Amino acid sequence: MDDKQIREQLRMWILDRSGASPDRLARDDEPILDDGLLSSLDIVEFILFIESLREEEVDIEAIEPEVFNSIDTLMAAFFPDAPVAAGAAG
Amino acid sequence: MDRSLRSGFLESFEAHPDAIAVEVAGEALSYAALQARAAGVAATLAREDVRPEGEGRPRLTAVFGQRSTAVVTGILGALFRGDGYVPLNPTFPIDRTRAMLERSGCRAVVLDEHGVKQIAEVLEGIDTPLVLVVPDEADVDELRAALPAHRVLGAIDLASASDWTPGDAHPDDIAYLLFTSGSTGQPKGVMVAHRNVNAFLVTMADRYAITPDDRLSQTFELTFDLSVFDLFLAWERGARVCIPTQAQKMLPAKYVQESEISVWFSVPSTAVLMSKLRMLKPDSYPKLRWSLFCGEALPSEIVEAWAEAAPASTIENLYGPTELTIACTLYRWDPARSRDECELGLVPIGDPYPGMEVLVVDEDLQPVAEGETGELLMTGTQLTPGYWLDPEKTANAYIVPPGQDRVFYRTGDRVRSGNGKRPMVYLGRMDNQIKIQGYRVELGEIEAAVRDEADVEVAIAVGWPVTSAGADGTVAFVSDPSLDLAATQRALKSRLPSYMAPREIRHVDSFPLNSNGKVDRKALLASLEDAG
Repeated sequence: MDDKQIREQLRMWILDRSGASPDRLARDDEPILDDGLLSSLDIVEFILFIESLREEEVDIEAIEPEVFNSIDTLMAAFFPDAPVAAGAAG
Repeated sequence: MDRSLRSGFLESFEAHPDAIAVEVAGEALSYAALQARAAGVAATLAREDVRPEGEGRPRLTAVFGQRSTAVVTGILGALFRGDGYVPLNPTFPIDRTRAMLERSGCRAVVLDEHGVKQIAEVLEGIDTPLVLVVPDEADVDELRAALPAHRVLGAIDLASASDWTPGDAHPDDIAYLLFTSGSTGQPKGVMVAHRNVNAFLVTMADRYAITPDDRLSQTFELTFDLSVFDLFLAWERGARVCIPTQAQKMLPAKYVQESEISVWFSVPSTAVLMSKLRMLKPDSYPKLRWSLFCGEALPSEIVEAWAEAAPASTIENLYGPTELTIACTLYRWDPARSRDECELGLVPIGDPYPGMEVLVVDEDLQPVAEGETGELLMTGTQLTPGYWLDPEKTANAYIVPPGQDRVFYRTGDRVRSGNGKRPMVYLGRMDNQIKIQGYRVELGEIEAAVRDEADVEVAIAVGWPVTSAGADGTVAFVSDPSLDLAATQRALKSRLPSYMAPREIRHVDSFPLNSNGKVDRKALLASLEDAG
């Protein structure tokens, strides 16, 4: 999956879990924790989902809490090498 | 002078003004700094002469926010003025928050940045002018323009801390009003008096020998009464309360280690999450002195794992509904004997707190014999006055049982009473006992069997399909994709009477949790209804 597809997958998962309307997560730098879109109660399932996208385990001890701030910070932490789709880099 | 909920904080402020009272999001406030901020809010509420409509109504101030210095400032500010506080939660649906605010009759709200974001929507349809205090924000012009009917005050509009004089707070006055979910859908306000919460705090501060060197976690939202334990137990003895941000709550293990927490308090579900995230490795938390769990049944399996992860800590299981002030029975885990004392794989809830008394009764409210099962009723110093503006619900839950001369609270919880040799054990809600085809069935027993057969930490059983008399059978839920559901179901059929064996075991990606972090049984039942 390329960068854009992974971002969309993360967005869909968070919106689906929270039941929030898509406009709550219109941008990738939108905070996802502060307004309850994602909570600590979702963490196990969310990590498993990220692992399924990465196709490898997440090293919990190596990550910082701030990685959960937004889709941008999730991408930087868990998918730093995701290829940017052709034509999307503009 | 009589003590009230603010007394411990003020004594610690006098004794240790430079000690850290609260730490959140990288900001640490000393007792002196927090006292000054709270005194400013209290003096402002007094200057604005905020008072409820209606003669004799108690004065209450709402605090709308989460995990910020502004909300602890608001809580103490309300108490300094002699008001009770009403916590409101920005992660709750707006309509629910509006209902709580209206029902409480608060005329002032203290807000942090999360509350500020939502307050305009919350106040839609509320015409009564309110005083809105935003103590951590200097510029409130935008909010003021958006809410012309209300008086909006930012940091620069607050009265000076030196203008504060402590408002009267009688032991029978409300310290906090906390809304819990009501079976009718209307939030139910539990009034907790200063004398109730003081009885609790004094006992607990001694029991846990809290000192200014301690650091207490605050995992709970303010709308969950267990948050009162974290804040005020720390402040009772000059200790530090460490409030993780939402991001830090995602990784509780790291927070415990980096904040050097010495007293941990959470719902058991948090420990289960930590176990699943491989966060309960041996010796992970050497600095923990106390590990306390409350709010739902505590599986013994998770305690065993926790004990290895925090080998220097003493583990206690606390039990108590909001109506009996935070917690009212406890059980200390002892590896030498506790394994034998667990029942259905759950840790006992143990003995009542000093000043509290247990009565276990049958359907006719008559005491059962020692060691028998029944509904738990309790009374004592932590018995709260009842429900806010709801004499009918109060009369139904706060009763004088036949042959008794005092009011007891009906917990609705089913327990096996202690008998001198075995401690009291929680068996489930009274309403978790259902009738299946006429047989009386404790869902907790089915859940214990599923946990055992499937080797999982959590299993939930519900009566299904529902009938007017109860249910025709049961369905169990587990969260383990690798489990052979059919084989487990076969094993259970040979272990349980046919009417109890689940007709189906379903895997869920994760258990739905309610706002307090407990498994939401109604949501699981609804998923069956949705599936037809």
